[in-house]
Amino acid sequence: MHGWTGTILKVDLTVGRIWREEIPAELLHAYLGGRGLGVRLMRDYFRLDPFDPEMPLIFAVGPLCGTPAPTAARLAVVSRSPLTGTICDCSAGGRFAWRLKAAGLDALFITGQSPTPVALAIDGDSAELLPADTLWGMEVKESVHALAGHGSVATIGPAGENGVLFANIIMGEGNSVGRGGLGAVMGAKRLKAVTVDGAGIVSLADAERFEHARRDVMRLFSASPVIFGELGIARFGTPALVDLMRQRRMAPTENFRKTVFPASGNYSGPAILRDYQAKNDGCFGCPIQCKKSTPQGEHLPEYESVSHFGALNGISSLAAIVKANTICNDLGMDTITAAATLSAWGEIRGRFPSAEEVPALLRAAAGRYGDGGLLSLGSRRLTEQLGRPDLSMSVKGLELPAYDPRGAYGMALAYCTSNRGGCHLRAYPISHEILRKPVPTDRFSFSGKARIIKIAEDTNAAVDSLVACKFSFLGATLEEYAELLSATTGTEFTPQNLKEIGEQIYLTERWYNCENGFTSADDRLPERFYAEPGSSGEGIEVPPIDRARFAEELQKYYRIRGLTPEGTFSDPTYLVRQP
Amino acid sequence: MKDQIAKYAGKLLADRSALAGRIAIAANDDVLLADGDPALVRLAGSVLDRLNCLSLVVASPAVPFADFLVARAPAGDCAIVPRDTETRTFLHDIPFLRANDLEADPAARIAQLLGSRKGVVVEGVGIIASGALTVEQAYINYSSVFHATFVKYLEDLLVEGFRLPGEKEAFAAFRTGWLRPLTAEGLVFRPGPLSNPDEILDEVTTVGRYTVERGLVDSFFGNISCRSGDLIYISQTAASLDELSGCIDPVSFGNTSTTGITASSELAAHRRIFETSDAAVILHGHPKFAVVMSMLCEEEGCPVTDCWKDCPKVRIMGGTPVVAGEIGAGGLAKRVPPVIAGPGRAMVYGHGVFTIGRTGFAEAFNALVEVENWCRTEYFRRLALQGITG
Ligand code: SF4
Repeated sequence: MHGWTGTILKVDLTVGRIWREEIPAELLHAYLGGRGLGVRLMRDYFRLDPFDPEMPLIFAVGPLCGTPAPTAARLAVVSRSPLTGTICDCSAGGRFAWRLKAAGLDALFITGQSPTPVALAIDGDSAELLPADTLWGMEVKESVHALAGHGSVATIGPAGENGVLFANIIMGEGNSVGRGGLGAVMGAKRLKAVTVDGAGIVSLADAERFEHARRDVMRLFSASPVIFGELGIARFGTPALVDLMRQRRMAPTENFRKTVFPASGNYSGPAILRDYQAKNDGCFGCPIQCKKSTPQGEHLPEYESVSHFGALNGISSLAAIVKANTICNDLGMDTITAAATLSAWGEIRGRFPSAEEVPALLRAAAGRYGDGGLLSLGSRRLTEQLGRPDLSMSVKGLELPAYDPRGAYGMALAYCTSNRGGCHLRAYPISHEILRKPVPTDRFSFSGKARIIKIAEDTNAAVDSLVACKFSFLGATLEEYAELLSATTGTEFTPQNLKEIGEQIYLTERWYNCENGFTSADDRLPERFYAEPGSSGEGIEVPPIDRARFAEELQKYYRIRGLTPEGTFSDPTYLVRQP
Repeated sequence: MKDQIAKYAGKLLADRSALAGRIAIAANDDVLLADGDPALVRLAGSVLDRLNCLSLVVASPAVPFADFLVARAPAGDCAIVPRDTETRTFLHDIPFLRANDLEADPAARIAQLLGSRKGVVVEGVGIIASGALTVEQAYINYSSVFHATFVKYLEDLLVEGFRLPGEKEAFAAFRTGWLRPLTAEGLVFRPGPLSNPDEILDEVTTVGRYTVERGLVDSFFGNISCRSGDLIYISQTAASLDELSGCIDPVSFGNTSTTGITASSELAAHRRIFETSDAAVILHGHPKFAVVMSMLCEEEGCPVTDCWKDCPKVRIMGGTPVVAGEIGAGGLAKRVPPVIAGPGRAMVYGHGVFTIGRTGFAEAFNALVEVENWCRTEYFRRLALQGITG
């Protein structure tokens, strides 16, 4: 088999058993890998509580991983989110994914709960559980350092160990498996880390065809101003968006009470480059290298993190923002949820945390002590407990990232239809509503958005299953990636096929969520966005979202998806009919 | 969405790329919306139904070059492979279906081809193009296929001459009927230099519209900029040159802000041109004859195979330097600036023309017209030299 290894490594931590199984080729063709394969493997488990020992934690690479396909050294981690209760997948780049494939694996399926802390060490064909008592309690960098020599590392920090509901898993090079709290699922299993090494090589079915398609992709990257343009993410990283969001008046400020933060220039892309002499960094094997770090190797924050620790909390000091970001990475916490939870708490208290207070609050959240006990629960639970649920700026309990939905109506809809809660990446309408790729759409109009979001969700579900990085698609399209996939596997895939696969993945996720009680009542933005305007000015009006028009477009979306007006399935056999 | 269908049907007529009465546009909202020729509307709906995309344009091109390319293609071929840069970059190739391969209901086969490509040619029907997200996108893809087949046919004709019954007559009709004299006559330009931001925005918007109205671009792509102090006012990426209002980014030379991340993919080329010449304004379009002529090279025994990106030479055509270079960060930004300052104009292999104005847009626009007119005249001169007259 080309592209896939056809093998999954299963681990039962309760009894300490590790074994390999074959994955049927039909399943790989039907779900590709990454998110799709992980979601399929959740079929018998999705109803379990996220902290139930039998809940699987799945690491899955895709058929392009291990090839020179641009941005494809990635994997998806899939489980059920303790933060939202939804199905949850997170995509992360790095050598870990590459080496998992080189160890002969398409996926790693971990269930059970170890009686004592352990680390799973995979080395080629062999795998063992190592005692990790001495690692338990370590911050991410220490843990990675302690495991040096074992290949690539994926580890949790104290936040994951302590069950912080937005704990991340962090890769050795610093890439986060973010959102949704899968680090807490790993912590509940008492699995501190996974290490992996391997020497396998992925063979290409048609190397010449592959190279042709790879060049097509690179040409499109070069032609994309957002990627390799003078002001693009390759140069400035995702903080290139800071100035743009300011100019479009849609930068969430003070818990989304406003949409312009006058001091955002302090942490813009050019400011970060200038103040930190930022150097290129990024996922292994990626030609774009959108991440930036200091000359000493400290990872600099991405757009979401600078904007949420900045504008959302009214903090203008870049140094304080960089520090908050580093603390989250060291402790293994999601920056978006951490910053948004602080912000919601700040609004309830009547005072947003100062730059000086943030480090201690983040440490308290990771340790779940003092105010951190509440903060560790995420904004929805925190605001409920404090009697102000209206102030959690989340959808399905997942905090919204740094694109105000009043400034982009496709984004507003996509936050609500996303299967993992308020996430910008499922349909990524910022691409066309703001960045004009592949074509611009009117950000203040709902016209056509239901269909556009549905198509983009399907497309991105396929992308997350290849697994490739979303940023590739600010230049390339599924056309070129279908070519790469066909050339890799020797099986013909077309963009249309891939979108159909994506649709099946999306609907399977939605099915799981519906079975767990999610309905259209959960596909709703916080009340603030329908009631309060954003910060209008400079000729741009940012009115509240028209509730009736939003509801109308959501109903259109359900019809396009073949769902009932409640957003559920009319066909009770949907899931069993899927491969 | 109905307004979008009407708007882009209108544009297909205004740019004379489709035949009146032979246009259909369909769009999938939660229900199918479509307008145009009833038979084509039926076909469009039936194809769109099978695709995971939002819109479709089905139209018969106003010149029969796409059909000629299909008829001239060797028996085993199933795709047209143009050599121009836009097509290479964004479309790769253009699959086609021959008239005698069409089944009673060709929708399934067409949908299958469109499942992999943005546009196809169906012999006897026309060009069918999809738009994943918007009606505009389907229009753009239609226009791109129209442009690509137009350029490819002219190229092939110069090498192979007429080969089909009726081809010569159709080409003569194209030459006398479809082609119109290209001039800047009647257009009004501000004299420049321009410094007032409102004036700059207005002038850029106006001149953008002129380039589309005079047919100097394919669909509505190209880019345009004006320098004022530390700022470059440049059209945004994927902006319609005939609708630039609100789509012009002011970008600082010092890159102190990134709001211009949405600026044209040719920002780097524009910046370098401003830095290395006395240009006050820049125009870039894809006039068809210039694209064709830029790819004609008489060099013998040249070892370069990918001329469009690797040719290291500066060739001169009608006084205009021709250089190679891919779009965006891919080389054009390095190769155009060193050659444009003196002549005020440059062609990029298989891509288009850059021109500059030292004060206002009149000079740049006139230069664009002159280059295209020279290329047009030269093309027909070469055709005649080969004994190919239509
Ligand atoms: S573009 Fe950035 S996030 Fe994506 S793979 Fe490359 S470095 Fe990683």
